[in-house]
Amino acid sequence: MNSPGNRTRTRTRTTIVGPGSVLRLPSAKIAVVILAAVIFLAVFGSVLAPQNPLSINANALYQGPSLHHLLGTDYLGRDVLSRLMAGTRLSVLTAFEAVAIGLVIGSPLGVATVFLGKWFDFAANRVADSLMTLPYIFFVVAVTAALGNGLVQAMCAVGFLLWPGFFRITRAATLEFARAQYVEAAELLGASKLHVIRVHVVRKVLPTMAVTTASAAAAALLAVSFLTFLGIGVVPPAPTWGGVLSSDLDYLSQAPWAPFIPGLLIAITVGALNALADAFRDRTSKGTLPVADPVIKTHSTLEVLEVAGDRQSAA
Amino acid sequence: MAVLELTSAAGAISPRRRRARAAASRIGGGIAVLIPIVVLSSFITYCLGALSNSNPAATILGQDAATPAAVAHLDKVLGLDKPLVVQYWDWLTQALRGNLGVSYFTQIPVSQSIAQRLPVDLSIAITAVVLAVLIGGTAGTFAAIHRGTWFDRGVTVVCSVVTTLPAFVVGIILVVLFAVAAHLLPAEGYVGPSAGIWPWFEHIILPSLALALQVAADIARQLRTSLVSVLEQNYITGARVRGLPYRRILLRHALRNASGPALTILGNDFPIMLAGAVAAEVVFSLPGLGQLILESAQTRDIPVVQGVLLVVATFVVVVNLVVNTLLNWLYRTNEDGIGA
Repeated sequence: MNSPGNRTRTRTRTTIVGPGSVLRLPSAKIAVVILAAVIFLAVFGSVLAPQNPLSINANALYQGPSLHHLLGTDYLGRDVLSRLMAGTRLSVLTAFEAVAIGLVIGSPLGVATVFLGKWFDFAANRVADSLMTLPYIFFVVAVTAALGNGLVQAMCAVGFLLWPGFFRITRAATLEFARAQYVEAAELLGASKLHVIRVHVVRKVLPTMAVTTASAAAAALLAVSFLTFLGIGVVPPAPTWGGVLSSDLDYLSQAPWAPFIPGLLIAITVGALNALADAFRDRTSKGTLPVADPVIKTHSTLEVLEVAGDRQSAA
Repeated sequence: MAVLELTSAAGAISPRRRRARAAASRIGGGIAVLIPIVVLSSFITYCLGALSNSNPAATILGQDAATPAAVAHLDKVLGLDKPLVVQYWDWLTQALRGNLGVSYFTQIPVSQSIAQRLPVDLSIAITAVVLAVLIGGTAGTFAAIHRGTWFDRGVTVVCSVVTTLPAFVVGIILVVLFAVAAHLLPAEGYVGPSAGIWPWFEHIILPSLALALQVAADIARQLRTSLVSVLEQNYITGARVRGLPYRRILLRHALRNASGPALTILGNDFPIMLAGAVAAEVVFSLPGLGQLILESAQTRDIPVVQGVLLVVATFVVVVNLVVNTLLNWLYRTNEDGIGA
């Protein structure tokens, strides 16, 4: 697409990316359009739904897509399109709650730990490591067993498992900038720690956080869909993306095409979030984005490894 | 690691013993790092039970028999009147001996129910890892060799699509394709290997495939990237100039050096595979650990929930230790000039 010279220039150009330069990528444009549509559905979905998502119609079970029911009906004759539109809000909102919890705990801690001394850093890292060994689905189910089966409990649990990812990536990025010569110069000139963090660190760490937030949002959305699929945190008639999918599962012989609709919806949204994360990553020059570490470091040689992706941090 | 340097410095012993010792100390060092992690994660696990406002004694006794005196007595028997840290210590030391307590409701030992369910998950997890390495490894290697061709682009596109599909969606798609539409394989249930290899495999293959696809896509992408950069290295050109057969260069030199990052991905994906295993259990109605924890969560059977969580977290730690040790071995042997 670009001439070679052009490409090298964009790659080495800046360390700080604005939303504008990210949006120039075609994949990012498509992703933003999809996400805007999903957010629109989350806000207005239940109002715009053509039919009542809860109304049962015994005369129209397992119908295929038709003019009256654009995406067909389910095992109780409810309109699938309306159920998916009405279910968007709960699915999207809870996913963002989880990401917000992870971001609010993890990122400030990641910046702070660099400046708070060795012992704090050691302790915070060990806690993050141990949380990463707890597989999210088992942990969330255990939390709902202990605190009651509700979406709020489930989301707090997911968010609590997301913070180590934010913590690690912010910490790694902060470490890199905190050792830069201009930070040393600023400190010699008498700048306070707070000033250094605000002016020299936070602004540079923001693109890294954007990438992590996008991929964490993808992971959280998957988690919410999966949890609602398992029936955790929702009361049955209330529609959710995962709930629609799980009700389709019991009637595969009557309507084998049905699961593809909610499945596709989940996949497209998750894909858009991942594409946005990739676009941010591509637009940021190589040095600013530290690659994710293995889950647990047990050997010093691992530090030299190039480990691509931040899947684990997201999951 | 400091220990390693010390053992390597003691040059008087034979190189073979030196290497064995170095390997042992590396594994030992790895375990030392893992101990605080295991202690912390098991403490978090245990605290979950303590956080719950459920009153186990009252639940066990039932509504009629739950007089304050009876509840206090049972609390004492169950050890629930002790401080949290003491309770945790008792639980952990018992757990290390294989005793995870008994279910509040069925009185079946937790370790027994876990041992019953574990073969199901191990069957699909191990088959899934094998499938993921086979599919992802082959696709990634061919994509790297034929870089820029339609095959390479096809692998990239398929990988991006597959990574957005969660295991429970993949599982349902597989059921629709192979069980509902084609009637080739059973849609649900589990048969132990004692009933014959084929019936077991028949029930295992679809859930394993549902788990494996996402990991295979990750492995393919990572292996392609690192293999492409390894194939550009000077020593590969050197080997080709010396006239070594391409297959040998690829298998002995390039793949060996490129497989490290893919191995790391496999370790990192292991928790994702566990989530996928729960999905597969639900979609294919398999009686595994996921079903066990879901059922116990509904009845708030805290000892079972804690036991399953501890066992699963231990698996994650052990898999990480194995992956890290393998990586270390892979890189060490290369540094010593033995491997490459």
